[in-house]
Order: sequence, then C-alpha cells, then structure tokens
Amino acid sequence: MPGFLKEFFNRNGTSMGLAILGLVLFWTIGLIILPQLSMLDFSFRPNLPPPEIGGPKDVYTLENYKYLIYGPEGGSQSYNSVDLRVFFRTLLAAVCVTIFNLILCYPIAYYLGQSKGSHIRIFAIMLIIPYWINEILRAFALRIIFGETGVLNTLFMGLGIWDTPFDFIRNDIALYAGLGYAYILLMIFPMYNVIESLDGNQIEAARDLGAPWWRIHWRVVIPYAKPGISSGCTMVFMLSAGALAAPQILGGPSSLWFTQLIYQQFNDNNDWPQGAAYAIVLLVTCILFVLAMMRLFKVNMGDIGK
Amino acid sequence: MNNSFLRISIWVYLAIFFLYLLGPLVIMSVTAFNSSAFPRMTPWECLTFQWFGELFQDQRILNGIKNSLIIGAGTVVLSVAMGLAGALMLTQIWPKLRATYYTIIIAPILIPGVVLGISTLVFWDRINRMLGLGADSFLSNGIFLTVIGQSTFIASYCMLVLVARLQRYDIALTEAALDLGASHAQAFRKILLPFMRPAIASAAVLAFLASFENYNTTTFTFGEYPTLTIELAQKVRYGITPAISALAFIIVALTVFFALLNEAKLKRQELVAVARKKATVEELAGKIKLPSFFAGNMAAVLLVVFAVATITVVGTATAYNPGQCIANVKEQKRLEAEQRIQELRKQREEQRKKREAEAAEQGDAQQSAPKPSNNSGFGNVFAPNALGGDAEEESSDTETPPSNNGGFGGAFDPNSLQNDQ
Repeated sequence: MPGFLKEFFNRNGTSMGLAILGLVLFWTIGLIILPQLSMLDFSFRPNLPPPEIGGPKDVYTLENYKYLIYGPEGGSQSYNSVDLRVFFRTLLAAVCVTIFNLILCYPIAYYLGQSKGSHIRIFAIMLIIPYWINEILRAFALRIIFGETGVLNTLFMGLGIWDTPFDFIRNDIALYAGLGYAYILLMIFPMYNVIESLDGNQIEAARDLGAPWWRIHWRVVIPYAKPGISSGCTMVFMLSAGALAAPQILGGPSSLWFTQLIYQQFNDNNDWPQGAAYAIVLLVTCILFVLAMMRLFKVNMGDIGK
Repeated sequence: MNNSFLRISIWVYLAIFFLYLLGPLVIMSVTAFNSSAFPRMTPWECLTFQWFGELFQDQRILNGIKNSLIIGAGTVVLSVAMGLAGALMLTQIWPKLRATYYTIIIAPILIPGVVLGISTLVFWDRINRMLGLGADSFLSNGIFLTVIGQSTFIASYCMLVLVARLQRYDIALTEAALDLGASHAQAFRKILLPFMRPAIASAAVLAFLASFENYNTTTFTFGEYPTLTIELAQKVRYGITPAISALAFIIVALTVFFALLNEAKLKRQELVAVARKKATVEELAGKIKLPSFFAGNMAAVLLVVFAVATITVVGTATAYNPGQCIANVKEQKRLEAEQRIQELRKQREEQRKKREAEAAEQGDAQQSAPKPSNNSGFGNVFAPNALGGDAEEESSDTETPPSNNGGFGGAFDPNSLQNDQ
C-alpha cells in the first residue's frame, strides 16, 4: 500500500476511510470520468439496432463527425451548411450574451461590493430570488412579455411607437434577453466576491492622484477583479452555449440552438452516436474557446472557481 | 463630474436593472389572476382564481411534483454524501494530486447539462447491456438515471459549500476525541458532523432546489418519470395557459417567503449577538433584555406584510365569485364576434357576387368536371382558396357558419375545383 493511502487510513480509520474513498471514487470515476469516456467512445460508433451492438458491424468510424462537416453522404451540398451554421451561430450568440451580461452586471457588482449598509442585503435577496425560480418559468415569463400580444407590444402600440406588433421571438430578441436573464447571478456573484475584498483606499488614492473615474476602473478595479470577471464570463459562456430550455421556449421557429440539434438526434432521430458526437464537439469547442480566451487575457486556470 | 448626477444615475441604473430582473416575475404572477384564457396583463378581463383550481386538478402536474420530490430526496442524499466525502478528501489528498483532483470534481459545474445527461444515459445503458439486464431493469429506470445524472454536478456545488466550512475546522478537535478513546466513526459523528451541520443544511437546500429546477440533464434521463420541470416544459412548448402562471405565482410566493424568513432569522441572530456584547455583567447574570423581533429588522417587517397579504388573497379567493364579471366579458366578446361576423359576411357576399359574375362569364366549362359536388352548402364561407381543398370538407361539418345563403356557391366555384385536383 502506498504511503499516502496508509496515512489516509490511519487518519480516518478503516471503515470511515473506506466510506470516504468509496464515495469519492464512485463520484469521480463512476459519475464523471467513465461516462464522459463512454460517450466519447460511443460517438465513434455507427448507429446500430441493439442486437447488432458488439457484432461485426460495430467498428470505430469517423462517420458521425464527418456528418457534421459534410452532411449526409451523396447530399447536394459539399458542406453540412445547416448544422454548421447553427453551431457557429450558437457560439457567437453565447459570446454576445456573455459580453452583454458583463457590461450589465459590472456596475451592479461594483456598487454592491463597494457600498456598505443594510440595503445591500435586501438587494442580494432580490438578486437571488429570480435564480431560485424554475428555469422554464423564467423563460415562460419572458414569453408573456415578448409575445405578439405581450406586454411590450401592447405598451408600445398603445404609446403609438409602432402600429403592428413587432415579433420579438422571430427576431431572437426574446432568446437573447432570456439567456442574459437566466445567468445574471452567475456573472454578478464571482465579480462581487472579488470586488468586495478590494481595499477602498486604493480607489481613494487613485482619485486623490487625479485619475478620472473611468481610469480608476480601467487601471485599478478591473485588473484587481480579473479573476472574478473571468470566472463569471466562463460560467455564463459555458451555460448559455449549453442552454436548452430557453432556446426551446423563446427561440423562433426558424432559429435553432446547437443543443436543440443534439436533442433532436437523441429524441426524434433516435441516433444516439450522432448526438453523442455533436455533444463532444460542443464540449471540446467550448473548453478550447475558454482556454484560448484565458490565454489571451492572461488569466490563470487556478484563479477560476475561487 | 457632478456628484449628485452620478448618484442619480446609479439609482436609475439600479432601478432599470431590478426591473429587468424582477419585472418578468411580477408580470407572470399577475397574469395568473386574469380570466383571459391566454396569459396576459392587458386587456385585463376579470380577477379570477379559477386557474389555481385548474392547476390542482391537473394530474400530470401533480404526478410531476411527486416525481420531483422523490428525485430531489435521492439527489440530496447522494450529492451531500459525495460532496462531503469529496471535501474531506480535498483537505487531505496528496499535494501533488490536489490540482488534478480539484479540476475533476469542479468540472461538472462547467460541463453543459446536456452533455452530462447524454453521458449518463449512454454509460448506464452500456453497463446495463454488459450485465445482460433487460430494458426494464433498475439501471435503466428513469428515477435512478436522473438522480445519478443530477448528482454528478450537484455534488460539486455541495462540495464547494462544505469545503468552505471545513477549512475552518480545527483538526485538533478530532485528535482530542481519538485520544480520549473515541473510535473514528464516533469522532466523525459526534465532533465533525455537528460542526458541519449548518453547511450540510445549506448544501441540502441548495441540492434540492438545483434538482427541482434542473431541465437540461433531466430531459435526457427521465424515462417514464417526468419531473415537474419536464412537464412544465412540455406545456410551455405546446400551448401556454394561465394555469402555469398560477404555479409560477405559488413558487414565487414560496421563494419570497422563505428568503425573507431566512433573512429575518439571520438578522435577528446578529441583533441578539450585538445586544449580548453590549450588555453589562449584571444584565448577563440576570435576564438580559433582548431586542424585540421587529426592531431594526426590515426583513421581519416585510415578512409579516407578506404573510398578511397572502392571507388576504386566500381569504378573498374563497369569498370572491367572478362569475358575473366573466359573464359580462363573455357577452361583450360575443357581441364583438358577432359584429366581426357581420362584417365578414358582407365581404363574403360581395366576393361571391363578383365570383358568380365571373363564373357566368366563363360559361359552363366547369360543369363537366367529374368532381362530385360538395352539397353541404357551406363551402363558400370557408373560402377554399385559404384553407386548401382538404380542410373544407372536415370543417364544414363541425361548425355552423353564420352565412348559408350561397347554396351550392362553393361547389361550383372554379377555384375550388382547381384546389381539389
């Protein structure tokens, strides 16, 4: 038995040690690592009916990945333009949602982090309450507002700003508002945590030395808050790229989210390997994108999640 | 820059921000009380509580709540246990492995829920097949899969909550207990567990809420046990009714209630602690005068206001009967509809005349067509051009359209024949 394991059992006793070790191994290996590997393996296999699985036809193939790029074999187009367009649109939209959330939430996080008083706690409750309401219901609420006879259209038509109902859903405005809405807390919270620990004297000093307010933020607050900002952006980006409920409810009929394609492969086409391949592509692309952004803005991996 | 200008703009910004955050919830809650069959604020028809009644008669919703509670309980137990074990492991793991281990257990938070759901489904399906079990075995049961899938990432949340408290734990306490002859299990149960209790409680609440509202993972794993969230999503996607608003109102009210209750309790504890600190020795020896529950406790005051409002609403609901108002609105709608039908009828009449004139000009070319005539006589109303040829026959039986003076007008219409072919 290696030294550290022996020490571990000495410290926790045999039964407790076994219980802890068993649970941790079940979680890390049985629930996290193996299912991901299994999905990866599955994505390289052809779609076979259950009796043929493990048979001679069950060989590794790149077919599922080729399908995403080139489309069905013998198709009229040389690229699978529909799926690829959905894929890039999803990534681009997720980036836009992230930037929108960052701009929206930074002032709030700064204000909450730097001001003292009991009203801050009430603000915190008001921030958290929407987060505990069901994701579906939040999307539903936005649909009531953005619908054709919804609150916004009634309001603007009543005011005479436009006279035919504007279709927010078909123009994807409802979708972006819904995605931004869903992850506000995840953006604010990490930023707030960091900004709260910023010594107010630093801001005072910068102000005394004559810096205008925007330069204080640019040179003092933002560099200090960088770990929080990157945590928030990472979470919002990953979650909005992987969102399923909001696109299903708020998305227009012609606009798809990449997760909806995965959902269709699983539930409508019953092509699990294809769906698994799409899921792998989404996961890997998102991780690579986040890592690239962190390299670009010189953020350490260790700072995330603090 | 002008200081007061900055202050005002901050407050305006805060107001807009919270309007964006809370406005949708308020509007959704209000639509639960409008008698309009489509959830909307305007036009306001009648104050009604009928949607709540409808909600509680919906078997699928009730069944969904039951499944959600079962799955939530399973997820809480599994993910708190795994989170605690993971946190304990994190404090003692070999330093070289620590970074890798931390990355692995934190990763499920960032992995899209869709991916977690798929990987759970694929992996356990494979295990099931390897063990040679049938499609209805325990391992492919919706409840089992959902609990497993949700726990994968909810355990990470629990771990984060628990590790924050565990870092303040003094390991010497456990050592002292062991020196005094306790077994490891006893030391864990009597020393560590009581210390961790507040963190375990908040982790459990967090886990339950996260499980209750999860959609992305559950949608792949639920099998034959749809949770409340799944049922809601189905309903919202295929036609929305104010009954969903009613459910939303209940959830919003419960959330607000418990948030205020929690805040009031925390504030009270703080105030009591401050009072204890300030008290003199005599006061401490005798009875110390604690601040009353409401003094300086805004959350408690809000809580009471909220409770009174809820009681009022429920009280009104039992006494209030919107029947008359609904009847009025219905009558008004009927009149409006009639007016619209009149207008339509006029338009149709003119169209028909025009068409008849055209048909007369074209002569009897269409008389020789082999199509058997549609002698329901209503064809003209359901303009064949708009509905398409097939829909006409079905719809002409189901409803009684207001205008019937055309006789066989539709059947001899040349356009209708073209559509049918």
